[in-house]
Amino acid sequence: MAEPLIEMRNITKIYSNGVRANNDVTFEVRPGEIHALVGENGAGKSTLMKILYGMEKPTSGEIMLRGKPVTINTPHEAIALGIGMVHQNFMLVPSFTIAQNIVLGSEPLQSGLVNSRKAVEATNALGKQYGLAVDPNAVVDSVPVGMRQRVEILKALYRGAEVLILDEPTAVLTPQETIELFAAIRQLVKTGKTVVFISHKLREVKEISDRVSVMRDAKMVGTVDTADTDEERIARMMVGREVFMNIRKPPTQRGDVMLKVRDLEYATEAGVEALRRVSFNVCANEILGIAGVEGNGQTELVELIAGLRAPLAGTIALAGNTIAGNTPREVRQAGCAHIPEDRLTNGVALTSSISENLIVDRYTQEPFTRGGFMNPVAIRDNGDRLIEQYGIRTPDGTLPVGSLSGGNMQKVVVARELSSQPKLLIAAQPTRGVDIGASEFMHEQLIQARNDGVAILLISADLGEVLSLSDRLAVMKDGRITAIFSDVNALTEEEVGLYMLGIKQQTEVEIEQNL
Amino acid sequence: MSAAQITFDRSAERARVAAERRRLATIDLVITLATILLALLIGFLVMLVVGKDPVKAYQALLTGPLSRTLRTGRWLEDATTLIILGLSVSIAFRARQFSLGAESQMYVGAMVGAVIAIYVPMPPVIAVILPLICAMVAGFLIGLIPGLMKAYLNANEIVATLMINAVVFRLYDYFLTYVFTAPGAQQIRSEAVQPNAVLARIGDIFKFNFGRVNTGVIFVVIGVILVWILLTRTPFGYEVRTIGSNEKFARYGGINTKRTIALSFAIGGAIAAMGGVHLLLGVHNRLIPGMAAGLAFEGIVVALLARNNPLLVPITGLFYSYLRVGGDIMEQEAQVGAEIVQVIQAVIILLITAQVLIDLVKARRARQTSQ
Repeated sequence: MAEPLIEMRNITKIYSNGVRANNDVTFEVRPGEIHALVGENGAGKSTLMKILYGMEKPTSGEIMLRGKPVTINTPHEAIALGIGMVHQNFMLVPSFTIAQNIVLGSEPLQSGLVNSRKAVEATNALGKQYGLAVDPNAVVDSVPVGMRQRVEILKALYRGAEVLILDEPTAVLTPQETIELFAAIRQLVKTGKTVVFISHKLREVKEISDRVSVMRDAKMVGTVDTADTDEERIARMMVGREVFMNIRKPPTQRGDVMLKVRDLEYATEAGVEALRRVSFNVCANEILGIAGVEGNGQTELVELIAGLRAPLAGTIALAGNTIAGNTPREVRQAGCAHIPEDRLTNGVALTSSISENLIVDRYTQEPFTRGGFMNPVAIRDNGDRLIEQYGIRTPDGTLPVGSLSGGNMQKVVVARELSSQPKLLIAAQPTRGVDIGASEFMHEQLIQARNDGVAILLISADLGEVLSLSDRLAVMKDGRITAIFSDVNALTEEEVGLYMLGIKQQTEVEIEQNL
Repeated sequence: MSAAQITFDRSAERARVAAERRRLATIDLVITLATILLALLIGFLVMLVVGKDPVKAYQALLTGPLSRTLRTGRWLEDATTLIILGLSVSIAFRARQFSLGAESQMYVGAMVGAVIAIYVPMPPVIAVILPLICAMVAGFLIGLIPGLMKAYLNANEIVATLMINAVVFRLYDYFLTYVFTAPGAQQIRSEAVQPNAVLARIGDIFKFNFGRVNTGVIFVVIGVILVWILLTRTPFGYEVRTIGSNEKFARYGGINTKRTIALSFAIGGAIAAMGGVHLLLGVHNRLIPGMAAGLAFEGIVVALLARNNPLLVPITGLFYSYLRVGGDIMEQEAQVGAEIVQVIQAVIILLITAQVLIDLVKARRARQTSQ
């Protein structure tokens, strides 16, 4: 067995607010392996990697590199030791070119000036060596997320990283970009690099990693060879109990049409056609899933229905009332609830209290406002009731939402939207960035709402999720609905994938039949 | 529900959070006091360097406003105006709108109030209330202009309010010189407001020399209560605070963000006009040139120091005008130039508003405890 490249021994990290983020954690990485580090949000995996990268100091414990003890005080020292990290939020200069970003801080010089030709050459050479294709002269601002991530990786390699820590690299990627990333990771390992891969998507972990280390509640649960385990077993280690990976969904009868969208057209401010003649129905008691590679008009569609944008043409009717072009409040009062795509930026106000976040859609109504004045008691009671009912982990509803963990912020959004007793619920990417426990919760809630008669429009880039949750499925490609299937059980991921990529397409008559 | 089954001791957590909040509040207070001391120390050194007697100067600065009733009067008169302005600014600031328009709103309020208070004969009480209401309506409207520009035309609110200030200031000068000043008068100034419209001086009522402090201090009481209720107990206040916290979220939740933003400027304008009326009916009893010059910016400082909390504005207003009046006295008594006085004031304000400093200390503490 190879000698470990990195050993982190008995690491404990206690933050100044008393939170114990790592509790006697021991973690080792062998040279040349792809090592997945998994755990639920808040399990301590990011903290552990921040310690390795010199961004946090451990309260106790030691780090060994190639058998020798080292102290890493800053990211600078980590880089000098050959440890590089790619963060979830990219740290690039958006107005610089890719080559400029990669050499930033250690530019090739020629008589004191930056030699930009050499920078471009270096970028090209690195890209070729590791199979990470980038356009060195493109400005970072103008390139897709997947390429920005490759730039981050190249930046670390340019600085001589031997070990690369990737913090949830696939969270921002489309399925296609994920495939490319995995190919690149395999190429990196072939050239002798070592990769630590933080994730909570078990399918990816299973696919890419050699070994898996699982963390739970600040402790290391264990490390196993990926080949010897399966997704169910990893999930059990992560959550500490049995997890139902398969969604159970009782059959229901489709109810009346709740949302009726006809010939919806939209163009962005820049004049790009985002939606073209989009038509579909969502009925009470059903989940209509919309599958599609991101950026094919889903975001625009959701925002049009929710009243955040106005359509160029076409009609939207909610329970028989036309709502196209109405304000968000009018749409909500007509019975629409909306779990937004980027919940943590649009779905909550971080510095406002939890209770106040829970009434943003209803604060003008009784009992929250009475005779022109707000009623703090009613606001607090409503907050306490929803905190209890949805199991939001907080001691007090008067605390700011920003004090909650990500998973609990999600619950604040779900609690508010579902407690408005909607006729229609739009759920956009409901489990993106969510760990296993929280996504199980989200799925239960959606199915419960569907059983209770809510019409649900589910938009998700996770094909497995849409297929298992939806009663019917539509596919979007280039702003068009290219297929609608009324029987999801008969579909496979591969089949839907062909429609998503535009290789297959239903005729208008077929779509019309399944509307 | 699976998540609710997780055992979680809420009452213990609650007690812990309450203790944590108390601890943070104490730390905040201690740090604020320490900053004031540090600022005074820096001022001390500055005076040593320029060769003044710092002990004598500080005596004047720190005890001056309380040394004579006349000076205490100056302090309270100045504080009244500053508190009203601080309240005015805090509304738009809460919505994260950097409105700098208080100056123009004050001038417009004073002018409109003057037209009525000088030329329309009225019985007592009405003679104060009517000009006040008209001035506040005018302040509301002049504040609405940059509000609408920001909300619906996406204009930069800093530029919009500053430009309106410039226009209004010139108009004020023009009207004062050519309309309000009687032909052939010795000085450029309006006629006095009618006796019924004058806000009685507190010193006249109690027969002692208390400067120009007047019954306009009632405006402060009313203003604080009004703004506090508005911000914390009305749907509008909820909208303002939510927009200040996250504008995108507010829009997503159904709040008419444009309307609220425009109104936050306008309501601030109405309050600032109240400050203009205080100057008109209580302090000068007439319009004089440059009546509100520079005051609006001082109001911003007061609001920032109070972290836009209407209940803290009176405290920071009293504090800041104490520094202003104390500085004037220091200038007279210790022969310290006005420039040095302003430097010391600026250092104090700079240090207190420098959240960075507080955060630095906190971060240091955190590092020490974690090691």
